[in-house]
Amino acid sequence: MKRILITLVILLSTYNSLAEIKVVSTTTVIADLVKIIGGDKVSVDYLCRGDQDPHFLEVLPSYMLKLRKADIVIKIGLDLEKWLPQLIDGSRNDKLKLVDLSSNIPKKEVPTSKVDASEGDVHPYGNPHYWLDPENAKIMAEDIYNALVEASPQDADYFRKNLSNLDSMINSKMKEWSSKLSNLKQKNIITFHKSWIYFTDRFGLNVVGNVEPKPGIPPTPSHDAELVQLIKKGSIKLILMENYYSDSAPNQIAQITRIKVVKVPNAVYGTEGIDSYIKLIDYIVNQVSSNG
Amino acid sequence: MIKKLFFSFLIINSAAFAQSNVNPDISLLGTFNTFTNFNKGTPEYGKLNFEIPSFELFIDGYLNPYARATANIAFEDGKFSAEELYASIVRGLPLDIQIKAGKYLLGFGKLNTAHPHAWSFLNRPLFHQVYFGEEGFNDIGANFSFILPTEDFYSTLDLGVYKGDAISNNTGGEDADYYNVRGNSLIFVGRLGSFFSIGDFNNLDVGISASYGNYAKSSFYLPDSIGFPSQMLTYAYGGVDFKFKYKPDSYTSLVVQGEGILNNRDVIRRTELEPVIESITTYGAFIYFDYQFLKQFSIGAKYDFTYGIIGDEPSYNTLANDDMNKTQGIEYWVGYYPIEETLALRLGAQHLKFDLTDNLKKDTESTITLQLIFSLGPHKAHQF
Repeated sequence: MKRILITLVILLSTYNSLAEIKVVSTTTVIADLVKIIGGDKVSVDYLCRGDQDPHFLEVLPSYMLKLRKADIVIKIGLDLEKWLPQLIDGSRNDKLKLVDLSSNIPKKEVPTSKVDASEGDVHPYGNPHYWLDPENAKIMAEDIYNALVEASPQDADYFRKNLSNLDSMINSKMKEWSSKLSNLKQKNIITFHKSWIYFTDRFGLNVVGNVEPKPGIPPTPSHDAELVQLIKKGSIKLILMENYYSDSAPNQIAQITRIKVVKVPNAVYGTEGIDSYIKLIDYIVNQVSSNG
Repeated sequence: MIKKLFFSFLIINSAAFAQSNVNPDISLLGTFNTFTNFNKGTPEYGKLNFEIPSFELFIDGYLNPYARATANIAFEDGKFSAEELYASIVRGLPLDIQIKAGKYLLGFGKLNTAHPHAWSFLNRPLFHQVYFGEEGFNDIGANFSFILPTEDFYSTLDLGVYKGDAISNNTGGEDADYYNVRGNSLIFVGRLGSFFSIGDFNNLDVGISASYGNYAKSSFYLPDSIGFPSQMLTYAYGGVDFKFKYKPDSYTSLVVQGEGILNNRDVIRRTELEPVIESITTYGAFIYFDYQFLKQFSIGAKYDFTYGIIGDEPSYNTLANDDMNKTQGIEYWVGYYPIEETLALRLGAQHLKFDLTDNLKKDTESTITLQLIFSLGPHKAHQF
């Protein structure tokens, strides 16, 4: 009897140490970072596809089902995923741990006065598109590491090793990316949505206008005309935009001004072949540098 | 088990009495309708008519980590009312049950729980008007929601018990005197629903619903119930519903949704000798599509059928007791959504055709409506 009990205890403890941490992330970028740090100790799924606008995800019960089976849900935060609380409630998973990766990010464009809808879709806690700065990806990775260690302390060394590898990889790629974009330093560009500030600040580009008159507000003919005048006046290199937005207005502006429209994904799996964060930034940098 | 019960009691207790230290979400939805009709003899015929604007004030937030509360104060037809006022325990209960208690739109079918501003069309489906009333199936009570252990799709079973006010409205008619209020008699409503994601772009929700109870008492002596002043009149609803959505990107989507109801109830009918109680079976259904062809535009059409004559005095004590007359409706619309969900402009037309018994005739009715809806504040996303 004693032997059976001991065997059972050993089996149970072995099972526990083999059990994967089930993580669901709100975006594919987070999912990729979790996959790298967690390795085979973690199973990861995501809610928002790479070709979807994360501001407006439909509240689908299938997402609730994913969260129901998860141990941890990781979000970008800063009010990007306004749909998440409903999904968490619908999952009925009271053991689910929520991790907000924005906690340690140096935030940009944090409103200093009261914001309202007259300013468009302004995020009251700051611009949430911080993952487009690879240096921020390292901060996100550190927070993911901490969350995984809390869930599985016995695997801390394994996670730490993977985190170090990721940091090294990003550090080495940063040199390459900075070098590729060095010819565009202090050059002016226009972006579609106000979502590229972390990327452009990191690599020294100036955003001098947006195709959206205000964040989240569709382009208007009068604002397009203003942009045409702006482009004609100054040396503006390109319009940078996410590939889930319609390129109708940017293309009209480009037809008049001959400016280049660079349409890129801003998330992993946002287009074919982009299956990792490194490849995502590679793709964006290559597209911007070759069209700049 | 005792530990679990004690824990559940603690949660319910805290949900009922805890005070939030942060502000809830507050949002206001306003609706303005202007319309004209082509129904000869009506004062609105051929004129531009303005309805009294209506609004809904939503207050919603967490009470504590386990429970939420929602209030929806409505102003319609110049009157204020608490359209919804309820608390929900969303986590922490055994078997992952969710409990909702208060006054709210009941989960019979899928459309009834959605507020009219969230519909693609302008007019409440005809069978909802007949079997649920002008404001939808809205009642006071409690719902217990169970999540089913289906691995690959999301499935829930909802069972609720309600006061029954929604079902017992006596709206007049020539036999109205035979019906008494039913007193304290609860009604029951349930729905079994399943949601399937088919690939990345297609989603399907299907459900079956049922409701049962007493909707009135007969107010005369019946031959087989001597000694009893009256007899309870029961109703039973069965329903099926589905909603399919294809959404390949944020600029295009196609929604097809439909529901049907089967109504079986005791009704009082006159005979040459004396009134008798009969059992009748009637039904109603609707189906519509809404096609979003640009980010800001959609078009759609809806077909409706129901027993009962919409917009007229009921031939029997309620429209739901009518098993002789029928209404069919066609509605089509174009929607313009300039900036996300903050503003909606809809232009729609509805044609109603009536099928009366006893060689009676009623002209078809046509109405054109222009509707403006605005949404102020952090109104939460609508669930599929």
